[in-house]
Amino acid sequence: MVVKMSAEAVGNTSQELQGEEESRRNQVLRLLSFRNISALYIFVFLFVLFAFWVPDTFLVFTTWKAMIDSQAITAMVAVALVIPVSAGAFDLAIGTEVGLGGILVAWLLSSQGLPIPVAIVLTILAGALIGLGSGLLITKARITTFIATLGVSSILAAMISWVSGGQQILNLGRNFQELAIGTIGPFTYPVYILLIIAAFVWYVLECTQVGRYVYSTGGNPDAARLAGVNTNAVIIGSLMACGAISAAGGILLSASLGTGDPTSGPAYLLPAFSAVFLGSTQFRSGRFNVWGTVVAVIVLATGVKGLQLAGAPVWIPELFNGAALLLAVGLANYERSGARLKVFREKFFGRMRAGRAPA
Amino acid sequence: MTIVNSNSDVDRIPLIRASGITKTFPGTRALSDVSLSVGSGEIVAVVGQNGSGKSTFVKILAGIYEMDSGTLEVRGADGEMLSSKQAQDELHFIHQDLGLVSDLSAVENLALGHQAGARALAPRQGRLERRRARELVRGFGCDFDVTTPISKLSPPERTIVAIVRALEGWTRPDNVLVLDEPTAALHGDEVDMLFTAVRRVAENGAGVLFISHRLDEVLGLADRVVAFRDGEVVADERIAGVDEAALVQMIVGREVSEADLDLVPIGGEPILSVRGLSGGRLKSLDLDLRPGEVVGVTGLIGSGREHLAPLVFGSIPRSGEVRLNGEVLPGNRPAYSIRTGVAYVPADRRADGAVMEMSLRENLTLPMLSPLRRGFGRLSRKAELAEARHWIASTEIRPPDPARQLDKFSGGNQQKVVLAKCLRTKPRVLLLDEPTQGVDVGAKAAIYELIANAANAGCAVLVCSSDVKEVRLLSSRVLVLRDGELVAELSKGEASESRVFGASAGVQVG
Repeated sequence: MVVKMSAEAVGNTSQELQGEEESRRNQVLRLLSFRNISALYIFVFLFVLFAFWVPDTFLVFTTWKAMIDSQAITAMVAVALVIPVSAGAFDLAIGTEVGLGGILVAWLLSSQGLPIPVAIVLTILAGALIGLGSGLLITKARITTFIATLGVSSILAAMISWVSGGQQILNLGRNFQELAIGTIGPFTYPVYILLIIAAFVWYVLECTQVGRYVYSTGGNPDAARLAGVNTNAVIIGSLMACGAISAAGGILLSASLGTGDPTSGPAYLLPAFSAVFLGSTQFRSGRFNVWGTVVAVIVLATGVKGLQLAGAPVWIPELFNGAALLLAVGLANYERSGARLKVFREKFFGRMRAGRAPA
Repeated sequence: MTIVNSNSDVDRIPLIRASGITKTFPGTRALSDVSLSVGSGEIVAVVGQNGSGKSTFVKILAGIYEMDSGTLEVRGADGEMLSSKQAQDELHFIHQDLGLVSDLSAVENLALGHQAGARALAPRQGRLERRRARELVRGFGCDFDVTTPISKLSPPERTIVAIVRALEGWTRPDNVLVLDEPTAALHGDEVDMLFTAVRRVAENGAGVLFISHRLDEVLGLADRVVAFRDGEVVADERIAGVDEAALVQMIVGREVSEADLDLVPIGGEPILSVRGLSGGRLKSLDLDLRPGEVVGVTGLIGSGREHLAPLVFGSIPRSGEVRLNGEVLPGNRPAYSIRTGVAYVPADRRADGAVMEMSLRENLTLPMLSPLRRGFGRLSRKAELAEARHWIASTEIRPPDPARQLDKFSGGNQQKVVLAKCLRTKPRVLLLDEPTQGVDVGAKAAIYELIANAANAGCAVLVCSSDVKEVRLLSSRVLVLRDGELVAELSKGEASESRVFGASAGVQVG
């Protein structure tokens, strides 16, 4: 056996060099390929399109400033969603988590008269608690993530109506509104809060042991468990983090509106999912990731904004987000089947050729 | 390797005629020039070890694989021989797991086989279907509620449903029934029930192809036996002149003494001691494992062999006691097991062994990330890459690209990654379940070498495998399981292939 092994090793040295070289070249190609950064190419396309179509309104800084300010909360919610989705838990309750956060903070401020920091901390804790509930339903009661979070979503919607009485909660105070309106440089606070949260989530998911556990749980829970990962804790933890960040998004939403609005939270569900899935086709070849998601939010918003400026009707954002979600998921599937097809082709034709050579 | 065709019944109408079937997989020739025929009213048993090519042959019959060359003909309704696709429609299968949908009732399972076509949306004729199902079941001397879900039926009742479904829709009595290790999951009386049904079908003129590991069943049921070895048909004989010893000889062939691996047993006190371990199909097993020792465990499907490694590791519910170096190893705590020095390579690497979407590097380090941890929980990319390079080099993984997604490696290289990730945790006990399943010959040799090296470095190794050759080659001691119990413990010298195979099949061979 020893003799055979060494013969193999000799044959492999040239292959090894080739492999290293190939992998480096592939990496550069992979980095710049349409597949890897399609959203950036789409962004350039949209930018050029609207720059020619509606230059007077599109190419103005205030348009962009307003768009970025208004998208900060959407991006925050989408970043929150990246965490459980990476762990394989699709949190359909994320829209109502935002809604409840917004209503809860408003209620604590106006009806209970709590100081702002206390109200904020309590609301974020409530968000984490909701995540804990969803997580327990999934891991302990063994309900599938879709059904568990869908049920939780409905319960939260009921709680929103109950707390608010179906009415907007007014008089949140000037200081609270300052949270969303105040600016540093050109942008409002939420933009910076988003960047801090996104950087933190990115760090945890990409650079730490916890992140590795999250992705392995999402990739193959059985294998992850056998490798010593506490997959239940990962799922619960990811949903808690998602709930907490969503609640923070809700707080900023109420601050920016100046009221606690029972209807605006659930509208974040679809844009968040669209961005997360479109984002997964970016940078990390099929893996859900933070910066891909943030870029996707901006690209989607640019498309919507441009169409609005061009005089498109009010239902355009929903149409655009829905279409983008389907396109993103379709693209991801296509990419996967494409890769599989290539492997098949290599194997099949490669073997046929090898088989014929000696004859 | 002479083909002995002593099938004297020339008057039997052939129902299946396979000739010159050849099938190659990358790196291995699974079947070469296989010819076989089944006549009307005949029960033909197909026997052979794992990797002998008999499952490949069944998969070609079922249309799961395509043959490279050769012809397969099956007798059609009008007496003409049909080939390829058409022929497969004339075959009826009962698979190992019976192939029933457990949430549906017997009636619904029977209906699944029907081509609905234009009537797909028409209301089902419930009463009619129910009555027919009841009649069919009664035909086998059974009477149970055909509308309860399969999962609520007893195993023998399930078997009856599977038989009824396979026989259902027979336009004539001389169809062909293929039984693919149907008894692996059954108990004694259920087996009898199945065989009674099979005999009845054959008496009515059907041809039966019966694939089994259990030699007593083969001798009891078949008219003729066909033995596969290394992808060839090595024997084709009437059962009348065959006894158990001859059957084992056919399957195993001439004993080849292979070059053994250099194993240096260290001995000393056992590092792993297992007492009264049960769970899955395993009933109360005792086992001691010493450092540097490789113990092989083999047995047929359903013998409990497939549950031993996960039971010791603690990934499936167990009772009994597992001690590592005298300390109790708790069950259901994989992380703890890994930390204390127990590593487990699962049989199914796709399902349990690795995260296919992650890269080689990430898979390799997943079970033990702590040495890579730096400040603020950061994982050192540099250290991780260096480790990945080290293991790629020492296990000769091709291509040597740590960033490559695991999915894109060949089976052999994936298995090397799974093994490497276990070896990286510096295990004191290495549990291997089917360590070379779906792996080509070259990778197999490399994996054996890695296992031997681990043992020589003082690791206690448990190899659970259905491949008798593999177990013999690697182990200094071979345990044979049958029906959840230890039936033989053989030293390296005693463990001839025929003896090990005989013990697992329930046959005494000198």
